[in-house]
Amino acid sequence: MFDAIKNQFATDDILIKRADLYKVNVTRQRVFELITFIGNNYNYKTLNAITCTDWIEEGHFALTYIISTLDRKSTIMVQTMINREEAHIDSLSKEFIQAEIFERDLAEMYGINFIGNDNLKELSLENWIHTPPLRREFDTLEFVNNNLTFREGREDNLDVKVEMKRIRAEKKAAKEAAKKLEEEVKDGK
Amino acid sequence: MENKHITIFHGPQHPGITGNMSVELDLIGETIQKATTHVGYLHRGFEKLIERRTVIQAFTIVCRICVPEPDPNEANFAMAVEELTGLEVSPRAQYIRVMVLELSRLAAQFLWMAGQSGSVGLYAVGQWAIADRDLILDLFEELTGARVYHMYIYPGGVRRDLPEGFLQKVQKLLIYMKKRLLDYDDIFINNASFKNRAIGVGVVNKDEAIQNAYVGQVLRGCGIKADVRKDAPYLVYNELDFEVPTQEAGDVYARALVRRAEMDQSVHILEQVIAKMPEGEIMNKLPTHRKFKLPRDDTWVKVESARGEFAYYMAGDGSENIRRMQVRGPSLVHGFTLLEKLLVGQELSDVALIMNSLGICPPEIER
Repeated sequence: MFDAIKNQFATDDILIKRADLYKVNVTRQRVFELITFIGNNYNYKTLNAITCTDWIEEGHFALTYIISTLDRKSTIMVQTMINREEAHIDSLSKEFIQAEIFERDLAEMYGINFIGNDNLKELSLENWIHTPPLRREFDTLEFVNNNLTFREGREDNLDVKVEMKRIRAEKKAAKEAAKKLEEEVKDGK
Repeated sequence: MENKHITIFHGPQHPGITGNMSVELDLIGETIQKATTHVGYLHRGFEKLIERRTVIQAFTIVCRICVPEPDPNEANFAMAVEELTGLEVSPRAQYIRVMVLELSRLAAQFLWMAGQSGSVGLYAVGQWAIADRDLILDLFEELTGARVYHMYIYPGGVRRDLPEGFLQKVQKLLIYMKKRLLDYDDIFINNASFKNRAIGVGVVNKDEAIQNAYVGQVLRGCGIKADVRKDAPYLVYNELDFEVPTQEAGDVYARALVRRAEMDQSVHILEQVIAKMPEGEIMNKLPTHRKFKLPRDDTWVKVESARGEFAYYMAGDGSENIRRMQVRGPSLVHGFTLLEKLLVGQELSDVALIMNSLGICPPEIER
């Protein structure tokens, strides 16, 4: 199988990760051709997942299509890179029904447009107008501080480090005051 | 009188819903015309949290991804880190992990039994099942210090050796379970109230099942012998003797029969684990917290949870933080692709019954 992939898809980027897990890196133009090829010739016909990793410093998303044989004994990770600024790629939902929900999930979390998937509506977010949350530039803490307010009565929900410092300073001051008082008593003041 | 077309929400606050989610149902009379799954009630974001955390920090989060069975998450997390860093796990730690995973499977099946029996009004079964699950949680508490979120299976091994006399306690529990499970056959599995409701309902098409990436009892309930423990063995499952139960009908009842038979298999596996438990170390030597770095590499690991194949994708970037961890449990596909399809044409009263049979856990969807 590896020789056939090497010859047909001009890639040497094939890794044997485990006895039951392989990985092939391929250009985005040929990724669906490769998925069809291994499906038709080597029985890799079950799409288990589509994953995405944000390599912000390199300017791309790594999309990984995880596909198993029908007997589930062998799995291939087919990985391709897409530009994160113009994040789009064709949809696999016509070939695999479950791709629709995987792509919908990634579209919401990374802002990737899967062309041909008609169901890229909101999945778990509601009226979201900010940066897609799983992009690396989305800072959760900053978002919370800028967009949310603490409910009244929760003013003690402070920065842990600052609170610890304050508590330590209070304890130290109390200890010093007690020591001073003790000395004053001793001196008979 | 003509039936009107109405839309109702089944959940998120409904005793017949499997966790914090809802299903929007378009009905004519009692018959479902269209079902649409809605999630978004949990506000968790595990995968985002994990991106900024070190291995030990992420470890405390992963078990919370699924309340009914946290241990497959811990096992996947540990296996992924071990694979990326080349860490070895001692035979004793591997046997202990199998013991924890099988006890967890039994506990999860009891919880399923409580939910599934409740969906047909057999509430006594639920009370029995929760009480019996508690006996397993007692063991977890003794072993790990926690009843539900154990934080026990750590990369490199397990965090604590077995307490003195622990295996004898597990053995005692298994003797009880063997007798007790037969009672569940009488009160639940062979109960006419359950059979009449479950047979012929929520039938999954066998041909679609594999190609659509359904897992667990959904596959085995329509005759497909799928089990990660056999198909791609991990830990020491290849040294243990067990069967993969299957049924042919593909309906709710077939999935219940498979689950019940799997409980017997878990007892059988646990007996072997007790007999074969080797001596030795339980934890490999690990780098210190700040030096525990994952190389720039990625992997895909999977275990068989009580509800089917449960997998993690993990990528490292050479730093001590985890670059990406993506959870792939049964729920995303079962809760959307499968559930929305299965409910069409069914009666409103069967929604809870069908949902419970599919093993849907919303935190896995809103990771």
